[in-house]
Amino acid sequence: MNILLVLIPVTLLVIVVAVALFFWAVNHQQFDDLDSPAVLPLMDEPPPQDPAGKTDPPPQNT
Amino acid sequence: MNTTAAWANPQLAAQVLRERRDGCSEIALHVDALHDARQVLWLEQRINALPGVKRVAIDRPAQRVRVVWQTQRTSLPMLLESFAAAGCSAHPLRHDEIEDARAAEMHDALKRMLVAGMCAMQVMTYAFVIYIGVVDFVDFSTRNLFRWLGLLTTIPLVFYSARSFFTGAARELRNRRLGINLPVALAVALVFAASVINTLRGSGEVYFDSVSMFVFLLLGARYLELRSRHRGGAQGDALIDATPLLAQRRRADGELETVAALDLAGGDQVHIPDGGTVPADGVLESASVQVDEALLSGESRPRQRRRGERLIAGSVLLTGPAELRVEHAGVDTGVARLGAIAARARQARASIVGSDRDVARFVGRVLLLTVLTALGWLLVDPSRAFDAAIAVLVVACPCAFALTVPVTLTRALGQLARHHVLVTDGNALLALARIDRALFDKTGTLAVPRLDIDATEPLRGDSREQVLAWAMALASESSHPLARALAAAARREVTPTRAQAVQVTMAAGIEGMVDGRTLRLGHARFALAAGPLAAGQIDARLADDALLLADDRGPLARFHFHEQPRADAGATLEQLRREGVGLCIASGDAADRVAALAARLDIDDWHARQLPADKLALLHALQADGHIVLAVGDGSNDAPLLAAADVSAALTSGTDLAQAQADLLLLDGRLDGLIQARTIALRLHEVVAQSRRWALLYNLIAVPFAAFGLVPPWLAAIGMSLSSLGVVLNALRVGRERACDPGRGHGGPTPAAQVSA
Repeated sequence: MNILLVLIPVTLLVIVVAVALFFWAVNHQQFDDLDSPAVLPLMDEPPPQDPAGKTDPPPQNT
Repeated sequence: MNTTAAWANPQLAAQVLRERRDGCSEIALHVDALHDARQVLWLEQRINALPGVKRVAIDRPAQRVRVVWQTQRTSLPMLLESFAAAGCSAHPLRHDEIEDARAAEMHDALKRMLVAGMCAMQVMTYAFVIYIGVVDFVDFSTRNLFRWLGLLTTIPLVFYSARSFFTGAARELRNRRLGINLPVALAVALVFAASVINTLRGSGEVYFDSVSMFVFLLLGARYLELRSRHRGGAQGDALIDATPLLAQRRRADGELETVAALDLAGGDQVHIPDGGTVPADGVLESASVQVDEALLSGESRPRQRRRGERLIAGSVLLTGPAELRVEHAGVDTGVARLGAIAARARQARASIVGSDRDVARFVGRVLLLTVLTALGWLLVDPSRAFDAAIAVLVVACPCAFALTVPVTLTRALGQLARHHVLVTDGNALLALARIDRALFDKTGTLAVPRLDIDATEPLRGDSREQVLAWAMALASESSHPLARALAAAARREVTPTRAQAVQVTMAAGIEGMVDGRTLRLGHARFALAAGPLAAGQIDARLADDALLLADDRGPLARFHFHEQPRADAGATLEQLRREGVGLCIASGDAADRVAALAARLDIDDWHARQLPADKLALLHALQADGHIVLAVGDGSNDAPLLAAADVSAALTSGTDLAQAQADLLLLDGRLDGLIQARTIALRLHEVVAQSRRWALLYNLIAVPFAAFGLVPPWLAAIGMSLSSLGVVLNALRVGRERACDPGRGHGGPTPAAQVSA
């Protein structure tokens, strides 16, 4: 059972690291928008630069 | 309307930029066209690619974008240009709208939940060892070690994750109010303290697993609730942002142009119609006006302001139009107080949360029940008293019950915002489901007047254009629907002139100096009052419903209007009638016109020639008969009516004074928002009643078991969290099936009376 004395501190350390990573992610807005990134792979190329600056939606929008 | 270049003005920019300590600036923008996720990503990439941009945060439900960037490298106009070029024109919001509170709250909740989850898992494994150890190979000292490990891992959970419950409970105690945080905090503290004591003693039960699971599940439910509340709030914000306070600025040539109040700079001349909101701090340039500063001071008393005195942004004009010279004493004055309606709409969301009296009663009973259980078990079997009492405290905690109204209402407000209805009083929405009489104003609300320009009769030989120009000079100073219709029609025909010393008399007419002589425009009785004819001698032919223009020698011209009911008026009224709401028109207009419109809309109960006081009397008569009355209006003369009605709705095409009194604001001149609001209100009642029944039923079933010691604390924790979750999910049903058939109304005749239980 003595292996517990090593393993338990290790698990605690893992938790501390995991929590730290998670806090970093939250603070860097990784969880703010959970919808948009899902379509990221579906995007072709960025919309063409529209020199007229008109307010119509991007053409790919159809 | 306003070009992006105007934002190069540092004074204007100061209103919307927030300087950060790292030298960057921060801005919040309202963006209209954020339809799908791809667009959001493109916009984000594009703005991120600009030089000097540090961070872009796009909040899609709220249609807001926050940008942190260095203004030295990309100027504000350039930033706005980039948005326009990306197909999403952006409008800056006031700098105090840059709120991190919502994001910060979410982040905090997420972190607490995760820490609780991590700790709960660990504690659970340790607890397993202890449970196994009872029957199997783990020796006594190892079990003790695991108790200490449980204690160690529960400490961050109790002191970090559960802190919000403790602070909430402390706040509730300070306000001498029983809330849902109190039982939770009590349960967590008691269980933890007991377990710590038992760990120190080295004997007795420890409940670290129960307490950590309880906190984790509860935080999960709270996180979901927070998310749905924020989403509702964000939808409301999007609507509020899309309807900024507007001002009428006088250009150098004397014509008026409409700009956002935020775009006003010091020195601008602004015209404020009667019943309008003062868009910025400034000096009055008209002779004298009465203003209501209730929205600022909370004191609703008309105050007289004379030429040269200051008007404060956010106050509402009660009389006559006013000319104002804008002066900005500083960045924060004026603009910070604007958007009183926006503030009220947000307050409606805030006021509901935690103001439930039923909850306090419920909590009181739960605490009593806990004490009784403990006492009962102390007499029978003292060793089980603590277990049973904790189980009762946890099982009976009225979280689900208390969450019901706030969660469901926020969802409803968010849904209504999507249908262009802004609610400024959440309780009014609840009352809307119970109305059985609706009182409508006619002109401007049910019908839109239009000037019949060919029928204009000059009475003293002036040309038609001439009398139109005079009338328009007066009419453009007023916010009455007839005056607006006249000004709008005449603007296409003649070049405008300006009227001086204008005074508007409510429900009568307008008087002012045009081309050096005093003219009066209004109903015959008003227009001719200054003339040679005494009131009794007015030609019967003139005393009809047309508007009369007169000088002090007699009538000059008559203007005829024809009225069109609003496009959706018929359908809206029909739907209301089908739902059993009695309809009634109260108008200041002449009898035959009211009768004509009432006949077209199939309404029997109409009242013509109603002064504001008459309308109020009508309302009081209805209320005295026990009716719950909805009042719908748009003009300043409806304001007393709107204030006194059980539920009031105003069209935002009307005056600010009317809007200031209304509980519901119908945007875009759409009456059918009323139907949608009522449908959602009925649905709201239904869902609230259902959720509360669930919560009560669950408690009634679970509490006896808990009291007799049959429910272990960990099971109590699961049951309680699940019931909260059920309520949050149930709230999402409000406004869910709307998409299928907007005209259908609610499903079946839901008796609204069952609700207030």
